[in-house]
Amino acid sequence: MKREIHYELNGNPVTQEVTPETLLLDAVRQWTTAPKEACGVGVCGACTVLVNDQPVSSCLYLAALVDGQTVWTADGLVQRFPRLAQSFVEHEGLQCGICTPGQFTAACALLLENPHPDEATIRHYMAGNLCRCTGYAAIVRSIHGAV
Amino acid sequence: MARIDAPAKVAGTMAFTADVRRPGLCYAAVVRSPYPHARIRLIDAASARRLDGVVAVVTGRDLPDRTYGRAVRDIPALAKEEVRYVGERVVAVVAETRAAAERAASRVRIEYDPQPAVLDPESALADDAPRVHAQAWAYPGAVVGPDDPPNLQSRVHLTFGGSVEEGLQKAAAIVDAVYTTPAGQHGYLEPQACLAEIDREGRMHLWIPNKSPYRLREQLAAYFDVDPALIEIHPVAIGGDFGGKGSPMDAPLCLELARLVGRPVLLQLRYNEDLTATESRHAGRIRVRVGADVQGRLTALAVDALFNGGAYAGYKPAKTAELLGVREAGGAYRIPALELTARIAYTHTLPGGHMRSPGSPQVVFAVESALDELAAALGIDPVELRRRNLLTTGEVDAHGIQAVEHRGHKTLEAALAALRPRPVPAGWRYGRGIAIYNRATFPGSTSLRLTREADGRVTVVIPLPETGTGSHTVVQRTVAQALGIPEASVTVVQGSTRELPYDDGVGGSRVTAAIGVAVAQALEAWAAQGHTGTVEVVVRPEGVPRVTSYCVEVAQVAVDPETGQVAVLELLAAVDVAQIVNPLAHQIQLEGGLAMGYGFSVMEDLAVREGQVTAATLGDFKIPSAQDVPPLQVVLVPGGQGLGFGNTKGVGELTNVPTAAAIANAVAQAVGVRIRDLPISAERVYQHLVRVPSAGPKEVAL
Repeated sequence: MKREIHYELNGNPVTQEVTPETLLLDAVRQWTTAPKEACGVGVCGACTVLVNDQPVSSCLYLAALVDGQTVWTADGLVQRFPRLAQSFVEHEGLQCGICTPGQFTAACALLLENPHPDEATIRHYMAGNLCRCTGYAAIVRSIHGAV
Repeated sequence: MARIDAPAKVAGTMAFTADVRRPGLCYAAVVRSPYPHARIRLIDAASARRLDGVVAVVTGRDLPDRTYGRAVRDIPALAKEEVRYVGERVVAVVAETRAAAERAASRVRIEYDPQPAVLDPESALADDAPRVHAQAWAYPGAVVGPDDPPNLQSRVHLTFGGSVEEGLQKAAAIVDAVYTTPAGQHGYLEPQACLAEIDREGRMHLWIPNKSPYRLREQLAAYFDVDPALIEIHPVAIGGDFGGKGSPMDAPLCLELARLVGRPVLLQLRYNEDLTATESRHAGRIRVRVGADVQGRLTALAVDALFNGGAYAGYKPAKTAELLGVREAGGAYRIPALELTARIAYTHTLPGGHMRSPGSPQVVFAVESALDELAAALGIDPVELRRRNLLTTGEVDAHGIQAVEHRGHKTLEAALAALRPRPVPAGWRYGRGIAIYNRATFPGSTSLRLTREADGRVTVVIPLPETGTGSHTVVQRTVAQALGIPEASVTVVQGSTRELPYDDGVGGSRVTAAIGVAVAQALEAWAAQGHTGTVEVVVRPEGVPRVTSYCVEVAQVAVDPETGQVAVLELLAAVDVAQIVNPLAHQIQLEGGLAMGYGFSVMEDLAVREGQVTAATLGDFKIPSAQDVPPLQVVLVPGGQGLGFGNTKGVGELTNVPTAAAIANAVAQAVGVRIRDLPISAERVYQHLVRVPSAGPKEVAL
């Protein structure tokens, strides 16, 4: 039972055939490597994408739901949020890089909601994006550096 | 200048294994054992084979009789007649899509005859225990014999100096206590993955997040009984390692599948498979006996560790199949009599492997906790007890080794000088605890190739994968500094295993030092040919001076005496360093280690029950989030002597090690209860508090 959906991915129109159970993560990864599959149960945030500028775990989100909507992933967001992207590079808010597109995407969503978050707000907002490498201080510094 | 991999990692354009695509690629899924121990009676794959998109359904009977491993070769690519743990691979399905492979895998019907299982190492070593392997000694690389206790994987027994028994007898006080640490997982966010392809000439190609590709090539060559030159491992980014990306993992199976179906095959584990069925941190039960005279000078230390090795020994790289961290017990101190015993047992549980300083977090938790218990028995301040026993430069350690220097005293005083008390919530009790770790840097073997290009730029080809530590940037910076040229003029390329002779792989905190040693040699050779053309060097580990790094951690905690909840107010780590190549990356390594140490101390437990991992998702196996990690303070103690061109020493496996003892010691100071079992959960502290009449709450019926 396939169906065609139309959505905007990083500002570009996309047409794609999906089934009712196709996950947004798998659909989007046809076009980009930015969202990563990690926990698969919506707790780690490595698959975070923005749907209508709201962060969602694409591993738990059905692709059919983005029909007619806008989707942004980290490779597009580096163009929309160049200052934040540069801050992640300068403060080395990353190590292995597998969680980084998700961290960056969630951080973009945070700045859309709250352009001047303090450290407690950053840590609370980012609690859904796990990182096993950095201990988070560098990620917090990266977000802080772009505020 | 920033890390060379940072922009691509932020944008998500860096290629990890699951991002690689090959022409004709098909996808694998695995059917795993639901029993800790059973005989496979029947496999019915007929309905799975009939599904759309299925290319092949493969069982152990379709594969030759061979086993693999890093040192002991005891792991089958698929179970043949017997399964030995919940999660063991039994059947593999290859299909046109991952969804089709997983659908078909769910249709495979397997009948088992459950058998008696041994689930803990104590019962595994009993004379009448069921055997995990009928003839464990017969595997290539086995370090046990037919006369050893059943289910023994490995045994280490080392004595140094005088008699431990005499040392304990003459002590003014002794501690004799048992400490336990649970099974854990690395918690890297990239689940294990492997893409295997066999080309028309029969050469095997792999894209796999493996941190020691040259060793992997040797391990696979031994498994397939082929020339290692027939195997090529291609560079890909590694999405977190911490020791878990060092074994062949699913590479033998994927190569077997690629051979059988004649197409490239990708197996990407679901995260619950990674948590329940891949190599884990060995659970440990560690008895410590330690004594000191009335002045607090240590008279003897005996450590007797028993580890759960799980169903296979092949995930440990040491030829002795041991966890080398056991040898570090008491390594910061002057100990006239030292006895180290470690046994690892086979059980019907998921296999134990290496995890960030393997063995050290377990053993250092035990020994550094016992030192605080000893200090209490003697009525000496725990910091003062350590001061009286720390090695000083010029002294030979208990193993008879003379390091170039000992900077434990300096590091300890730096930690204390930087310490500022944190505010405590009303009604909670404050405590602070200390723990010390000392680790040697072994640069090991590596190789690299420098080429001056026609335009004057320099290309460095290296064998080392980037596991996230920033090692490729370290190469760039070290070469640029050594040649006095801008970093932008140095291009770093990780070659496939065809490019260079050898490398030990990322591990043992060796990489920066190994790069420094290799660059120093390369420059010498290059100068001799006028800094032109190409030079290739191979570094061997001989004649390297012993340098060590001290790490002193202080934990400040507040404990709620009503509930047992522990709030870690701050973790401070003072670290003895030489030169630092990239200060920011160095800092983040130390912070990340503290966060991992924090998780090990108070949160993480794989909760293996009746042989089954019950913390089977990242929602259950809780690793620290940005909100969990307490404030971290890193204090550098510069001026140490390092290795190689950059005068560096290891940093990757320091701060994660002493954290648990520092927190346990702080909790003991706060509420007077000694937690000897990790993790230090509120429940555990509460259960101890109710047993101390004056200290805590009344027990309430739940």
